[in-house]
Amino acid sequence: MTHIPRLGIGGPVGSGKSMLIERIVPMLAEKGYSVSIISNDVISKEDADRMRANLATNRGLLPENLVIGLATGGCPHTAVREDPSMNLSVIEEMESKHPDLDLIIIESGGDNITTTFSPILADYFIYIIDVAGGDKYPRKGGLGIESCDLLVINKIDLASMVGADLDNMKRDAKKIRNEKPFEFINCKTDEGVMRVTEHIIHDVLFGSPKSAISQKV
Amino acid sequence: MYMSIDEIEQELGVMQLSDSFFPTGIFATSNGLEFLFKEKKIHGMTDLIEIIKTNIIQQIGPTDCVALANVVDGANKNDFDKVIEADKIVFATKPIKEIRNASTRSGVQLIKCMSEFVSNDKILNQYKDNITKNKAHGVFPVAFAVCCNALEIKKEKSMAMMLYGFTVGIVGAALRLGIIQHFEGQKIIHSIKPIISQTIKEYSNKSLLEMWQFAPQVDVVQMSHEKMDSKMFIT
Repeated sequence: MTHIPRLGIGGPVGSGKSMLIERIVPMLAEKGYSVSIISNDVISKEDADRMRANLATNRGLLPENLVIGLATGGCPHTAVREDPSMNLSVIEEMESKHPDLDLIIIESGGDNITTTFSPILADYFIYIIDVAGGDKYPRKGGLGIESCDLLVINKIDLASMVGADLDNMKRDAKKIRNEKPFEFINCKTDEGVMRVTEHIIHDVLFGSPKSAISQKV
Repeated sequence: MYMSIDEIEQELGVMQLSDSFFPTGIFATSNGLEFLFKEKKIHGMTDLIEIIKTNIIQQIGPTDCVALANVVDGANKNDFDKVIEADKIVFATKPIKEIRNASTRSGVQLIKCMSEFVSNDKILNQYKDNITKNKAHGVFPVAFAVCCNALEIKKEKSMAMMLYGFTVGIVGAALRLGIIQHFEGQKIIHSIKPIISQTIKEYSNKSLLEMWQFAPQVDVVQMSHEKMDSKMFIT
């Protein structure tokens, strides 16, 4: 069976996982990539419904049936790590019915900073936090922040309002991640989102040179 | 009296397959319990015990257990036709889409996981091959029976494992929903043991033609769960 590249996106509640997906899918679509989305939701299917409406129904960027909501039984990390059976089952159905897809995005339910994806479920793992949670987060570490392939720090426009120092976050992220990449973004304005998309295109889809990617705040 | 090495290995197989750590996705199911909770129609231990009893006595015992017993017997005699027959019948007895999907998804993943470390079981390999070619559904009770047979687990023990797993699954869901607290969970599991024993005794030697189920209220509850807007369980 075809193995379609799989991108896992995890992060705390309200950090901007769904919003990031809503921003990167149009950028990927513009470059000709076809994408599907599995949204693991802790308590509702609201995120999946919103993404389906915004990306599929209203903009036609992907078919409506390629945005799938999945309940996690109240255990978001179990559903993407210890027992990813239900996610794998949905992915296998997608790979069988839509072998021409370029990418499957799996969104974890909102969780704590220890979230990681099972390597069998995601080929590439983005962990997203936001500045409103406090600028201590890169420094505190945690499995998600330390082990992800790309750390994304969202809502940088709120930094001054919540007393978060972006320079400190940048310094701590560099240190704790051993020079593995991270990006500062603002999903509301798309600032930095293209850089995230370029990471995905280069590292997951092997589509364009890494020189196109810069790391600036 | 000492256990032989083979017996110890079989017991370890029982532990592995009945452990909630074994990845089948069942942790995300509530079998309609979430709907009852949201509608405020379930209160505490007594109600929960009744629900588990109803499920076992009216549905899982006379259908899933009969299928499991027949598949273990069939697999033991290398009768793959029996496996396929049970697979078709069990699939047809699950009219609720959420329940049917959850059963096949967890069953298929169970078979795939088992195939990663058991490679020389003919029935397991045949069933996996048929699932891959869309010639079998991979419903959970049949998949579970095939896996138990591959680990040389006896029929009655296999039935006990499935019924115990179902009970623990419901109790786990109730704990997460806040219907009961953790000591009550263990009391419920203990109180269900006689029901599990009786069910095994009653259904371990029935034929596939003797399968039945009648739990219309459970069906309605499970259908209602499908229509919930906000939920944390897949069933």
